[in-house]
Amino acid sequence: MSNIRMRDEELIEGMKNRDRKVLAKVLSLCENSPERANFLLSKLEKKLSHLIGITGSPGVGKSTLTSSILDELKNKNVGVVVVDPSSPFTHGALLGDRIRMQSHATSRNVFIRSFASRGALGGLAPSIFEACDAFEAFGMDDVIIETVGVGQSEVDIRNVADTVVVVLSPDGGDEVQMMKAGLMEIADVFVINKADNPRAQILKSRLNAVLTMGKKEIPIFLTNALTREGVKEFVNALDERFQKMKENETLAKRRRQKLFHHVKASLRRELDDLIDKSEVKGLVMNKDFLELKSLFVRELCEKYK
Amino acid sequence: MIKVMIAKPGLDGHDRGAKVIARALRDAGMEVIYTGIRQTPEQIAQAAVDEDVDVLGLSILSGAHMKLVPKVLDLLKEKGANIPVFVGGIIPEEDAEKLKEMGVVEVYGPGTSTEKVAEQVKNFVEHSHA
Ligand SMILES: Nc1nc2c(ncn2[C@@H]2O[C@H](COP(=O)(O)OP(=O)(O)OP(=O)(O)O)[C@@H](O)[C@H]2O)c(=O)[nH]1
Ligand SMILES: [Mg+2]
Repeated sequence: MSNIRMRDEELIEGMKNRDRKVLAKVLSLCENSPERANFLLSKLEKKLSHLIGITGSPGVGKSTLTSSILDELKNKNVGVVVVDPSSPFTHGALLGDRIRMQSHATSRNVFIRSFASRGALGGLAPSIFEACDAFEAFGMDDVIIETVGVGQSEVDIRNVADTVVVVLSPDGGDEVQMMKAGLMEIADVFVINKADNPRAQILKSRLNAVLTMGKKEIPIFLTNALTREGVKEFVNALDERFQKMKENETLAKRRRQKLFHHVKASLRRELDDLIDKSEVKGLVMNKDFLELKSLFVRELCEKYK
Repeated sequence: MIKVMIAKPGLDGHDRGAKVIARALRDAGMEVIYTGIRQTPEQIAQAAVDEDVDVLGLSILSGAHMKLVPKVLDLLKEKGANIPVFVGGIIPEEDAEKLKEMGVVEVYGPGTSTEKVAEQVKNFVEHSHA
């Protein structure tokens, strides 16, 4: 919502009091005025939440799996961000991931929020970093991020999540093909969902064969997200992984990488904004490329303090 | 950017109409959250608050609108949310009037043009922000 009438102090106070309605407003702020959100969130203490990315092709069961993960996390506070694509033409979006998670809509320990991708190409939303910060400021134990159903090149989740879960399913024909591309490199954990399909075992052996050629050891879990079979083991493994990450510096490393990308995204956003407002724009007619570019740079340096 | 939620309270499982409206609003440039069928008023109200939507549309074909709609309105009020609510479905004229008295901004019968709904939804948002 674009009209957030609450003042910063009210929002900060509400976040400290874990007021759910204020979190909803702050997340809107993240979407619509991310720089104000960044400022506000910098005033708040944050819990170190486990940021769990769930990615994979359309229809593999990411949302259903997320819902069954939530079933196993009854004793934790969990934030969920689900991202669906915006139309590049109308900018409209149909956000349908929530359908599979509505049994948790009234769970007091769960907060689900749908984001449209708004032109971001990496399978996430432009304000994903701010949204994670908001959930951490609210004191969530875990934050689950479901990306847009991806093809091959949408690997941005790697720069956001502490743990990237790549979900595969045996009814997608070209999964092994896809594994060779980008998704293979970003996976920290593999889930083969729809394990009720007998071909899940075949997919697992194929994946195993591919993985033994690689350098790092990546665990594979088989799940049936509809019956929750295998989900508990998977969720426990996520928890163990996060504990280990905290102990052995890998979390710190991932967080430094995330901070770097957050700054980059924020800077790019402000730069776009400055360029759009630039007075140099009016001079485009009479200048050649390099001349115009240096004019832009000069003006931007002056304005960007 | 206008954010809308389309929800189906009650027990009927026919969501063709709800989906048609959801798609039409998307094509009109809005971000539309669809919650699926058989939702309780509590699920709908909490989701609308958490998602911080600008408008909420309820699709009801079961005939239980006089029970379900006031329940959603009450819950929204209870949660301190000031979200305009419109209703679509097979609703007798008389009931439609009563629902509007209760605070529903508009009631759409079958065959309402989706362009008209999209146009009016934009107006509801403008008015609620004014
Ligand atoms: N048989 C079987 N079906 C499943 C399983 N998990 C999910 N499904 C079904 O697969 C379909 C897609 O599930 P979703 O959870 O919406 O998949 P998704 O990956 O979130 O889809 P997008 O968000 O559209 O990319 C639904 O009809 C689910 O009921 C499973 O473990 N076994
Ligand atoms: Mg999904």
